[in-house]
Amino acid sequence: MTQPIIRFEGVSKSFGAQAVLRDFSLDVAPGAFLTIIGRSGCGKTTALRLVNGLLTPDAGRVLVQGEDVAGTDPVALRRRIGYAIQSVGLFPHMTVEKNIAYVPSISGLEGWKGAQRQEKAAALLRQVGLEPELARRYPRALSGGQRQRVGIARALAAGPDILLMDEPFGAVDEITRGQLQDEILRIHRESGITILFVTHDISEALKLGTHTLVMDAGQVLQYAPPSQILAQPASPFVEQLVCRSREFQVRE
Amino acid sequence: MELLEEIIALYAQRADWFAGLLASHIALALTAIVISCSIGLLLGVWTAEHPWAAPPVIGLCNVLYTIPAISLLGILIPFSGIGNKTAVIALTIYGVMPMVRNTYVGLTTLDPDILEAARGMGSTRMQTLLRVKLPMAAGVILAGVRNTVVMTISVAGIASFVGAGGLGVAIYRGITIYNPAMTAAGSILIALLAILCDLALGALERYFKKRGS
Repeated sequence: MTQPIIRFEGVSKSFGAQAVLRDFSLDVAPGAFLTIIGRSGCGKTTALRLVNGLLTPDAGRVLVQGEDVAGTDPVALRRRIGYAIQSVGLFPHMTVEKNIAYVPSISGLEGWKGAQRQEKAAALLRQVGLEPELARRYPRALSGGQRQRVGIARALAAGPDILLMDEPFGAVDEITRGQLQDEILRIHRESGITILFVTHDISEALKLGTHTLVMDAGQVLQYAPPSQILAQPASPFVEQLVCRSREFQVRE
Repeated sequence: MELLEEIIALYAQRADWFAGLLASHIALALTAIVISCSIGLLLGVWTAEHPWAAPPVIGLCNVLYTIPAISLLGILIPFSGIGNKTAVIALTIYGVMPMVRNTYVGLTTLDPDILEAARGMGSTRMQTLLRVKLPMAAGVILAGVRNTVVMTISVAGIASFVGAGGLGVAIYRGITIYNPAMTAAGSILIALLAILCDLALGALERYFKKRGS
């Protein structure tokens, strides 16, 4: 295996008396699309927030591109890592274009002024499947699905090597979610970016991931490509999770 | 009706005098408003960024706010004498409170998901404050400015009790020479000035509230 782009080394994290991650270790290869699945409170969001330094581990280390997160400037680190969350968190007082240009703007990147900014924002909007005309609108004039797409465009704007996504499609309807899943697959194929994608939907996890990580109680239950998780569930919990996705349960 | 006619006659006879009083009233109120809004904004931002400071700062502002205006003016005389200086100090002390409260409330009731996004994307604390928090809180902060402006304009009417200028001079003179029309004439101008400012700032506030939501 090449050098992992993200590495967890024996990471533990507690909130008060609640242990959320216990001796958690994981290597993520560059270019992987890792989907992380588990029940609420299993530590999947915590693992994500350790990568961009929004949380710090109690024990162990998190390495991003070979550097210990604890020893790097968190602001510089976060600007190199795209971040998209379920609620999107678009800035209501900025147009779509300004939202997209936020990270380049705070980082003082060259080539993000005036017409160039307009051009780049339009290209990003097209990349996430939106009309460039939306650039001048404010977030309140967008539908839920459009906001998610703008959120992804904003996360991709500074050209990050890593994209963290925390249940990004959790709040949209089934049809829109299917479209967004196809878009993110296409973006991953085209850009070769490394994606960590937290979800609680097993079918989404298996559809999107080159690798899927099943977590429970702060530990790794299984870390394998989706086909292997389907074929050889490593534990009864994984089997139960996978089984539920094979059949619809219909109310009698 | 008789009083109204007297007031109109008074405005006509002494137009220059009232214009001068109006100008000095605006100057007095504006000085206090600029100082109190600046102090209030900075104090409000600082309090919002340091939550431990909120109870003492807001508590102190509330206490100062409860002192009757006339007695605050009286208390200040031994320290700053009589005249405009004392009036500006008293008006500033009053005006700070709505600004601190609104700035604090505006900055601490923002959507936590948006702040999480701002932080997660690599904003420094100052960038989050200047680019995200303050613009989003602008509507609520402007409501504080509006509150301060209207209150300062009206309370400035009693500043003549400590020898300051402004329309309070007409009110006070009307009382001492028993000329109700003169007192009313001064009061009406203060009320009109306050209402105009309130309407203008209200429109601005609605614009910013819409923008920040």
